[in-house]
Amino acid sequence: MEEQKINNDFKKFAWKQFKQNKPAYYSYKILVFLIVLSVLSPIIATDQPLYCKYKGVSMFPAFSFSNSCDIKNEDGTVEKIQYDIAEWKQLDASTIIFAPVAYAPNKTDYNNADYVSPGSKQIFVDKEGNEKSMPTKFRHWLGTGKGGEDVLSGLINGTRISLSIGIISMLIASFLGIILGAMAGYFGDKKMQTSRGSFWTVLVGVVFAYYYGFSVRLYDIADAFADSGFAVLLQLIISLVIFSIVVFLFYILGKQIGKISFLSTRVFIPVDSIVSRLIEILISMPLLILIISISAIAKEKSMINLMVIIGLTAWTGIARLTRAEFLRISNLEYIQAAKSMGLKEFRIMFKHALPNALAPALVAIAFGVASAILIESALSFLGVGVPPTTVTWGSLLNAGREQFSAWWLVVFPGLAIFLTVTIYNLLGEGLRDALDPKLKK
Amino acid sequence: MLQYILKRVFIFIPTLIAITLLGFIISVNAPGDPVERMVRSSIEDNARSSNVVEEKRAWREKLGLDLPVFYFSLTSLSRPDTLYKIEDRNEREALDRLISIYGNWDAIQVYHQSLSKFYLSQLSFVADTNQLKEYDKNAVLETLNQLKFEASAIQGTYDKAVIDVKMIKITTLLSTYPFLEKFKLEFEMVKQNFSAIEKTGTSWKNYVPRIAFYGFKNQYHRWLFGDGKFSKGLLLHGDFGTSYVTRQPISDVIYSKIGWSFFFSMLSVLLAYLVSIPIGVRAAAKRGSRFDKSSSIVLFLLYSMPSFWLATLLLMTFSNTDALAWLPASGVKPALGYPDGASFWEMVKISFPYIILPAICYTYSSFAFLSRTMRVAMLDVVNQDYIRTARAKGLPENKVIWKHGFRNALLPIITVFANVFPAAIGGSVIIESIFTIPGMGSEAIYAIQTNNYPMIIAILTITGFLTLVGYLISDILYAIVDPRISYK
Repeated sequence: MEEQKINNDFKKFAWKQFKQNKPAYYSYKILVFLIVLSVLSPIIATDQPLYCKYKGVSMFPAFSFSNSCDIKNEDGTVEKIQYDIAEWKQLDASTIIFAPVAYAPNKTDYNNADYVSPGSKQIFVDKEGNEKSMPTKFRHWLGTGKGGEDVLSGLINGTRISLSIGIISMLIASFLGIILGAMAGYFGDKKMQTSRGSFWTVLVGVVFAYYYGFSVRLYDIADAFADSGFAVLLQLIISLVIFSIVVFLFYILGKQIGKISFLSTRVFIPVDSIVSRLIEILISMPLLILIISISAIAKEKSMINLMVIIGLTAWTGIARLTRAEFLRISNLEYIQAAKSMGLKEFRIMFKHALPNALAPALVAIAFGVASAILIESALSFLGVGVPPTTVTWGSLLNAGREQFSAWWLVVFPGLAIFLTVTIYNLLGEGLRDALDPKLKK
Repeated sequence: MLQYILKRVFIFIPTLIAITLLGFIISVNAPGDPVERMVRSSIEDNARSSNVVEEKRAWREKLGLDLPVFYFSLTSLSRPDTLYKIEDRNEREALDRLISIYGNWDAIQVYHQSLSKFYLSQLSFVADTNQLKEYDKNAVLETLNQLKFEASAIQGTYDKAVIDVKMIKITTLLSTYPFLEKFKLEFEMVKQNFSAIEKTGTSWKNYVPRIAFYGFKNQYHRWLFGDGKFSKGLLLHGDFGTSYVTRQPISDVIYSKIGWSFFFSMLSVLLAYLVSIPIGVRAAAKRGSRFDKSSSIVLFLLYSMPSFWLATLLLMTFSNTDALAWLPASGVKPALGYPDGASFWEMVKISFPYIILPAICYTYSSFAFLSRTMRVAMLDVVNQDYIRTARAKGLPENKVIWKHGFRNALLPIITVFANVFPAAIGGSVIIESIFTIPGMGSEAIYAIQTNNYPMIIAILTITGFLTLVGYLISDILYAIVDPRISYK
């Protein structure tokens, strides 16, 4: 009870500290807005109307999962409206409600092709086929690209891509970083011990697990790469489950083998050295070049590949901070007390030590999201990251490079990247100040 | 000290090996068959299509692809050790997949041999002229080509349904044209052998792991140490193999490119240190002053600014004929090169305008980072007792800061050299390709666009190595600056 209360007090205190840091607090608010925007982006910026009543039939194209609607004419013929390719703006509908930004990110508007600036005259072709000036609700507020693609719509949908890549890749990275860092810091080189028999059994088990999880299923995984991102994810999860099961079986077997007298000598596992060496190897690789090389061998460019690659390479910072924190915590009295009560090591690690070690990792994660977003936009800028049909901030900026007079293609996407990165950096700084007990007054 | 450096270098070695391994793994898994590519481009060059098989074999040997991949491999009971000897990559993968379905190499091998024989006998087929009188010559050639096409399609396939369809096609071809009579028997063998695979399938063998050892004759060993014939080896001679695009040695390309990358990263690190130290020190010395606050904000914004955006904005402003056309947009020298007989200083003078914009982009991000680090380090020092003492005994403020404080605040800024140097290398990918600087970064992007994997791996390995050197240098500097730390 008491511990709970203190814990809550610290959270309250940290939140108060954080709120006092105005830039960080406003960044937090803007971030919430951006997340809402990116979740809602499919219905905020799309050329499919939210609601449409056409020949007496009501449709909700933007919300609908199906892609078409059959409409019976009076003479018995059936008219089929395909939501994604219908010319909604020229449709003779009795009621039609468009999304706030009535354009899809990668769709062309030939009437306003060839870089129309935000301020200049834009052309609209109405139902009768007459050219007139653009009504306010259909304006390209931030101008258009080469084929008449709406920049604002691209920006709004780009928010979703940037944020999801930043957040999901950091989820992967923090999972890896926290677990590896915690083990390295908590066990060090001298604390994780097991019997010789058990050690070798598990080592052999890892080879077997790799074999059954990945070698045997090699072609299943390879075929999934040619299929879709979700198929890859599914196959990888199956492989990981098989891997864990096999390792676990060998772990149980190892426990029994470890009881044999000549195999029961205790050996130490140098967890810390292993993890530190791994970190050293990864940080000596220039991240961008490494990611580019790995994505060069992926047959299909996809967002999920990118997330996984960034996640697998960006965990080192989190791991280092968590390790340092665990080194400190594992010598504290309450951990010693928990040990003397005979609690299991992993329970102590994750239930008692981890909550107190999370603060620095949290800060590193905030900065990590910023750099993941930077990496993603840099890759799309270079044209090596996401598939070419996906519109992202980086790809918009890249399009602006072809035509410098189209300043809106350079300024707005760049500003979006800059703002988002700044927000995450400010959040990181705010968190660091708020969670640092030394600053407690 | 020397001992310490030796020890650090010794710790390098496993890391370096891991980096080469990672690079090697990436290159082995790269899609596409390099041999096909080499042969195709050389056919285009020489306009001769004969001896393709011979040429493929020569390239395989030259690229070392006729060797097993690594010292050992984790494989299954069903797989033979000699599968790597199959020359064609598609064929090899198809066979491997067949094994992963049926698991009986003996039967698959018999099938594969009969199929190859069937295919090869078509290549050397000369039709009996007497028999051919009733057919048009073109029609015969057409039919033969069709037969060859179907047969080679079977060689590259593992899917039973597809193989069945192709087999039916061949059967009809053979029975329609009597002059193909002599292939019938061979094809019957192929068919029988394929159904034998299905009948005697032992797929359980796929689930029994086995470790196969290949010894030193493998691609990785050859890559590192060379084979004394085509490759001199990476470790001793810095030989990275052959470029898939130009078919030149990769090391030649890299030596010609690394100069500019190195120049820019050194220049940027130097400039960044020169600018950031005074700013950081001054901001810390006058904590809370207007200078401190404004520089903090500006530095923070600079720090979050994507370099490619800044680069594009600068180009848009200063080398755009619609705005200010002050500076050239790309390259490091005029398109026609330097004038004949230009002295070094003239060359510097000519190149200077080309260098300004890239140098700004290279510098600013590490400069923002360094200034912030410097400020924090200096703040720590300024609050120490000995600074107060120095002030109390009446030393001028300048002397207090620069003589007493600065030296002790240097430590963190030196350790981050290890971060700044690799960042300069990594950042070069973007900036070099925006400004089309002929360096390693733009070469990396070009290599990726052209799937030139040996080049990608070479760049990855070299940058990894340079980064390690950066860490070593910062460790040594650390030891020199901080007398409290003794290295034994």
